[in-house]
Amino acid sequence: MLNYNSPIKDQKEYSEIKISEVEPTLKLNLRGKKRDFITKIGKELSIIPPSDPNTSSGNEKFNILWLSPDEWLLYSNDKIDLKNTTLLEEKLFNEVSKSKIGSIANVTDHWIMLNVNGKNTFDLLSTGCPFNFNNFKNSKNAVTQTLINHIDVILHNKDLNNLNLFVRRSFSNHLWSWLNDSSRFF
Amino acid sequence: MFLINCPYCGERDQSEFTAGGEAHIVRPKQPTELSDDQWAEFLFMRKNIKGIQFERWSHAHGCRKWFNMVRDTSNDKIHAVYKMGEKPPIK
Repeated sequence: MLNYNSPIKDQKEYSEIKISEVEPTLKLNLRGKKRDFITKIGKELSIIPPSDPNTSSGNEKFNILWLSPDEWLLYSNDKIDLKNTTLLEEKLFNEVSKSKIGSIANVTDHWIMLNVNGKNTFDLLSTGCPFNFNNFKNSKNAVTQTLINHIDVILHNKDLNNLNLFVRRSFSNHLWSWLNDSSRFF
Repeated sequence: MFLINCPYCGERDQSEFTAGGEAHIVRPKQPTELSDDQWAEFLFMRKNIKGIQFERWSHAHGCRKWFNMVRDTSNDKIHAVYKMGEKPPIK
């Protein structure tokens, strides 16, 4: 964390598409099945992890994305302040992992967050994705995990034609190149 | 290509899933008491029928959960999808 390296450090603009890397942001993987786990997370963050599939919940600081019935991804809206995030991670780790009601793992370096916005956002993604965006694009705070150009991604629909895309660090450069190449067709 | 209705995420393209072979194969309670042939039967032998088959699938590029599916292998028609641990809705 102290030597955080951003893999892309770039932003591009094409016809009705803007792509940029939003890093560093805090990302924590939350796993748990017990009711205590949900209560503890809700109490510490003032956000209840969503139980409905393909949804998210959030406040001005954090978002929690549904990944599976017992797994969520927490990420910060703003770029991270190292001191505060370490404190939050430690606090959650002590409350959840140590008391064995769930697990907290810091995945800040594992996932890279890209922001894609503009009128052609979903047309761009559709060129390399098997997911049907018809309902997704009109549902604010919808979440999905799918493939783009055969790369695993998590998509969080922030607003109309504005989404955050999470990709594994080792695939981020490849996806970045693909997004840039494909954007030139619009 | 066909669509699969993941019991957790909803309808998704087949390319997001991986097949895990035949479902409802029960592990022998006392493996040490089995002969090599019986153990091999449990471990390796699978049905490969043309028609209705009970299979395990994983939503590998989505929620990563395993579930069961009743699929007609002759035309890829999916008759039922149900969670692990649940009984098959059709026989």
